[in-house]
Amino acid sequence: MVNNAEEILPKYWYNIIPDLPKPLPPPRDPLGAEFSRIDLLRTILPKEVLRQQLTIERYIKIPDEVRERYLAIGRPTPLLRAKRLEEYLGTPAKIYFKFEGATPTGSHKINTALPQAYFAMEEGVEHVVTETGAGQWGTATALAATMYGMKSTIFMVKISYEQKPMRKSIMQLYGGEVYPSPTDLTEFGKKIRNERPDHPGSLGIAMSEAIEYALNNHLKYLVGSVLDVVILHQSVIGQETMAQLDELGEEPDVLIGCVGGGSNFGGFAFPFIGNGRGKKYVAVASAEIPKFSTGEYKYDFPDSAGLLPLVKMITMGNNYVPPPIYAGGLRYHGAAPSLSLLMKEGIVGWREYNENQIFEAAQIFMRTQGIVPAPESSHAIRAVIEEALEAKKTGRKETIVFNLSGHGLLDLPNYDSMMRRIVKNEQR
Amino acid sequence: MSRDKLLVVYMTLGYPDNGRYLEFMRESVKNGADILEIGIPPKYAKYDGPVIRKSYEKVSGKFDLWSFLPETRKVIGNTKAIALTYLEDWVSELDSFLTKLKVAGLDGVLFPDLLIDFVDDYQMYSSKVREKSLNNVIFTAPSVPDRMIMEVSKQSDLFLYYGVRPTTGIPLPITVSSLVTRVRNLVDNKLVVGFGLSDENDLRKALKAGADGAAVGTAFIQAIEKGGVKDAVDLVIKLRSILDEF
Ligand SMILES: Cc1ncc(COP(=O)(O)O)c(C=O)c1O
Repeated sequence: MVNNAEEILPKYWYNIIPDLPKPLPPPRDPLGAEFSRIDLLRTILPKEVLRQQLTIERYIKIPDEVRERYLAIGRPTPLLRAKRLEEYLGTPAKIYFKFEGATPTGSHKINTALPQAYFAMEEGVEHVVTETGAGQWGTATALAATMYGMKSTIFMVKISYEQKPMRKSIMQLYGGEVYPSPTDLTEFGKKIRNERPDHPGSLGIAMSEAIEYALNNHLKYLVGSVLDVVILHQSVIGQETMAQLDELGEEPDVLIGCVGGGSNFGGFAFPFIGNGRGKKYVAVASAEIPKFSTGEYKYDFPDSAGLLPLVKMITMGNNYVPPPIYAGGLRYHGAAPSLSLLMKEGIVGWREYNENQIFEAAQIFMRTQGIVPAPESSHAIRAVIEEALEAKKTGRKETIVFNLSGHGLLDLPNYDSMMRRIVKNEQR
Repeated sequence: MSRDKLLVVYMTLGYPDNGRYLEFMRESVKNGADILEIGIPPKYAKYDGPVIRKSYEKVSGKFDLWSFLPETRKVIGNTKAIALTYLEDWVSELDSFLTKLKVAGLDGVLFPDLLIDFVDDYQMYSSKVREKSLNNVIFTAPSVPDRMIMEVSKQSDLFLYYGVRPTTGIPLPITVSSLVTRVRNLVDNKLVVGFGLSDENDLRKALKAGADGAAVGTAFIQAIEKGGVKDAVDLVIKLRSILDEF
């Protein structure tokens, strides 16, 4: 593995925009906008990040400096076969997983934090701001910022801040400044707190706060998901997986990933979709935030305050307050525009699972493979198990590949409370 | 002077007022505009930038569309003129709208929302335009997939419009050369590039990369704001001379 790491790690990021079946509806300013949200992007994003957000080049060179960092944090991540899981399920299907939990911050988020921080640093930025749901993105931002000698401020969704004290600790150890959102550091945060003092927060609200804070303090904002540029950077996952499957002489049939904003799924699956490899693509969301089954495909704001430009996506509405669930990273009202388009066109399919279903899947995975998956990633695992059992029924010898977007070692308190809830329910 | 390259001049109908609008149209034709694009204020200028949006607000309700358009025709002689307006506003009465455009002396129409909001039926709408003997200029952008650009390029009359930025008049950072080079390879038609292309550097890059012309709008509105019609006409002259370098 290590010997040919340099070969497996791609030299270019892959952009699916030119390969989409239809034009991607462009971002737009709202009706009667008092200022241009598109113009605002110029103020808050590092210039190169914005340029990449707008590019339609199919391949974009990864700067050597960023490639070196990718190697330093352990990319390429391993592609492993879940042989014990296959045996447990008694399925004829082969199951592989890309283990993004093997990176130091424990999830795929570092893949885009590094380049975004690098582009900011190159521009002379000294301080970056972002939001985080589960804490994974905040952790990645804090590490990337510190690696490039910058400060970071992170607005963490309040419910996660309370439920995941260890996430907060890591961010602080890396040098990040962490606040539970809604805060009273921004006008938007104050407004939410006035309306509802016990508000659990949401990713959309934290995002709005981070953007407002960046604007008021002339800082740059790093984007964790949803935007095309993030999926672009995450394409290292899928491209590595392709090269690793090639080495094994495997051809994937089914590709599965979970969806919060869509970046790990897109980063993993888009290179396959664009290259016409794979037969079936499945995006998995949380049944408690049922955006795929009940969301609408329409222009909506990515953030709750409506500071960002409108984008066309599958969405529950930017005012939607997701219930405080066990998988903070999936508590988002929408899905990335490119992913939404592919779903609308029927190219990417979907599933939604609830807490009980993913807990069961996580437990099977832990007991067969020994890895504690992030609760977000457990959604993908549930879909893999169902697919593998389906293959057992029909006798199909398919190859299922999924993205294990993160490990769940810092989610143990979450699993703990799930365990208690579920046992209690069973006793009733 | 070769004059191979097309200068497409945009102005919001009746901006900043009817008199100065007509004067600008007359003078820009005299000074090298090849095709005029006339902005008809929409209900929601979804894909326009703040400058053009403001110009729409300023003129809204200040003229009667169907009697004012023919006056434009009078001052521009035979120069080709197309209406730029959102299909969304006219889709429920499309037949009569197109007929009236023709009667008012326009040569064609460009709907910026055609490939975005009406993509599934764009061919049907395109053929309706042609049935009325109007030119059908199609707006494309970097977010349109290659295969589709090739397909619509053939159906676009006069030229294929390619907006390099997602909105007008905001200098978002993009790499003009590679954007244009790529689309050049997909398009047999004349390729006119627009959206934030008043910057001389960007314009030269686009032409070097193979664009057949440039469409400019926001910059004229800003010039009129700053120094009146004269400044805007000076800009026409300057752009013409840059185009003629190629
Ligand atoms: C481990 C993990 N997986 C998945 C996600 C979902 O996000 P996205 O769909 O943007 O990849 C998150 C978000 O925080 C996460 O932490």
